[in-house]
Amino acid sequence: MSKKKIRVEDISKPSEKLTHTEVKDFPPLPPPYDKLENLPKWDPLKCSNEIESSLDDTIAVALPKPKTKQEEQELVRKFLSGLEKLFTKENNWPFLQLLTLTMEHCAKCQTCSDACHIFEASGRNDVYRPAYRSEVVRRIYNKYLKPGGKFFGKWKHGDIDLNWTTIARLCELAYRCNICRRCAQTCPIGVDNALITHELRKVFSQEMGIAAKELHDKGSMLQLKVGSSTGMNPLVVKDNMDFIDEDMTDKTGMTIKTPWDKSGADVLLIHNAGEIMAWPENPGAFAVILEAAGISWTLSSEVPAYDGINYGLWYDDFQLARVVIKHAQAAKKLGVKKIVVGECGHSTKTLMVIADRVLTGDLNIPREAAMPFLEDIVFSGRIKLDPSRNDFPVTLHDPCNMVRLMGIVEPQRRVIRKICPQFREMTPHGVHNYCCGGGSGFAIMSGYNFQTWRKHISGRKKFEQILNAFKGQLSPDIPKYVCAPCSNCKGQIRDFLFGYDAWEKCRILYGGLVELIVNAMSDVKPGFIEWEWH
Amino acid sequence: MGQILLAGKNFDVDEDGFLQNPEQWDEAVAKDFAPTEGITEMTEEHWKVVRYIRDYYLKFGVAPMIRKLCKETDCNLKRIYELFPSGPAKGACKIAGLPKPTGCV
Repeated sequence: MSKKKIRVEDISKPSEKLTHTEVKDFPPLPPPYDKLENLPKWDPLKCSNEIESSLDDTIAVALPKPKTKQEEQELVRKFLSGLEKLFTKENNWPFLQLLTLTMEHCAKCQTCSDACHIFEASGRNDVYRPAYRSEVVRRIYNKYLKPGGKFFGKWKHGDIDLNWTTIARLCELAYRCNICRRCAQTCPIGVDNALITHELRKVFSQEMGIAAKELHDKGSMLQLKVGSSTGMNPLVVKDNMDFIDEDMTDKTGMTIKTPWDKSGADVLLIHNAGEIMAWPENPGAFAVILEAAGISWTLSSEVPAYDGINYGLWYDDFQLARVVIKHAQAAKKLGVKKIVVGECGHSTKTLMVIADRVLTGDLNIPREAAMPFLEDIVFSGRIKLDPSRNDFPVTLHDPCNMVRLMGIVEPQRRVIRKICPQFREMTPHGVHNYCCGGGSGFAIMSGYNFQTWRKHISGRKKFEQILNAFKGQLSPDIPKYVCAPCSNCKGQIRDFLFGYDAWEKCRILYGGLVELIVNAMSDVKPGFIEWEWH
Repeated sequence: MGQILLAGKNFDVDEDGFLQNPEQWDEAVAKDFAPTEGITEMTEEHWKVVRYIRDYYLKFGVAPMIRKLCKETDCNLKRIYELFPSGPAKGACKIAGLPKPTGCV
């Protein structure tokens, strides 16, 4: 690379921008995206007098600049005391072991860099290496938190200056990683650089009150207050589901009536409420399948149990716990046998795996992911399926939270192989998949030019994979379907397909798994999937 | 956070240009907003969509589902994109004076 190398210690040195991202550095995409005119425009963000924007050419958190030196110093102090707490058992027992391992044992071999889609897509920008962020934290830890660190840390581990510039940039840098943990998967030692991203966001949120507003103010706080991060209160969500029921009844010819608050149902289904607002055919298709299969199920209108999202997973352990407990309480109140989480990756991992560390006693209600639940229905013979209705090219995106991080690999594939004659895998796939580029909350973060950054950089690898999966069939005459059984992934895939105009140019549509299932059901009217951009 | 001059008045807007105080909206504001979303002239069809979104928001405190919007205004999604090139959420809702949509939408 001809670019000047950016060293770890450079993060502490004030300058307009630590690094730049330029289209000419991004790796080429397959045709028709090998031509510059077919790419979305990339407008690097200018420096701002009010907002911290000195990391790179975009901003995600948009941290206001401190007004005084004292304010800066206070924030530096809070950051360091927060960082110190991370290394204590009483404050950080769930993550302490892996955090310490990551701090102490990285061999700096950079194997993780080659696994990272953001690093690759940026044109191998040093600042986006998974280990860059961790190395900054490691040097702070060695210099400021270890006994004698100020004397020996610099010589033993490399120098760093903990000043406001370092912290303002680290705060943004904590939002340049999708927390997909592909880097952790490839590390020969077991170092988890994505955990460092998570821990940094946690310190900023829990200790300094700083978080991306889409995740906190308009995310988990709104969910706890009105019931859903979409802003839907219980009345609105019921009204919307009524509309979906009518729509499904029209579309399928079956009578669909979503049950609400049914005590003693076998299954409490918890959707990501964004589905209800933006992709109503998804909760609609769930209702069609469950009714057709004769499942005893219900939704809950309890705040916030009709919205499965749990953005705390990405930035704040306390927010995560608050939401998880409310979800479990709603299930307990209804006396259901189990919770099934809809097609949403982060809420599946949160409620199924992480919640095990939060829910105790009778709140620890059985929980199941949608993929194996649907697989059981599809292979039970309870619904009649005609695969010829799905005779178009289909590929499958693996949501990181469900697949790499939970091992739910085969259920969705067995379903798709059964009902989609033209299924083809992406390369690589399964637990070695690439993130859609919307992971860790990015899919809902779009202020300033961040959405364009997602299209060009964090989403580039996935877009390339999709184009390659449909190689030779990219003509707009052939409708194609990217199955992404996760709301967050769908939002990101929609945004980049729209940004690259891939519906018009290549006829690529996206959607969930349940839509494919209902589209193949021989007892419903044909044409459930509408080949229209949405 | 910034300000935008619409219909001779200054309005607080977020970083994507959505009104911070939706109650300040009126039709003159919508008219001035339109060119910022690639609309040359607000036709009766535009107004039908904008008024439906606005009324729904005042009643329920959130934007309507896109599918509901299509059904109630008799505009399919393709038509909505033709009318509002930046889409129903970023275009039509902004012109109707709603705050930026939140959550996984």
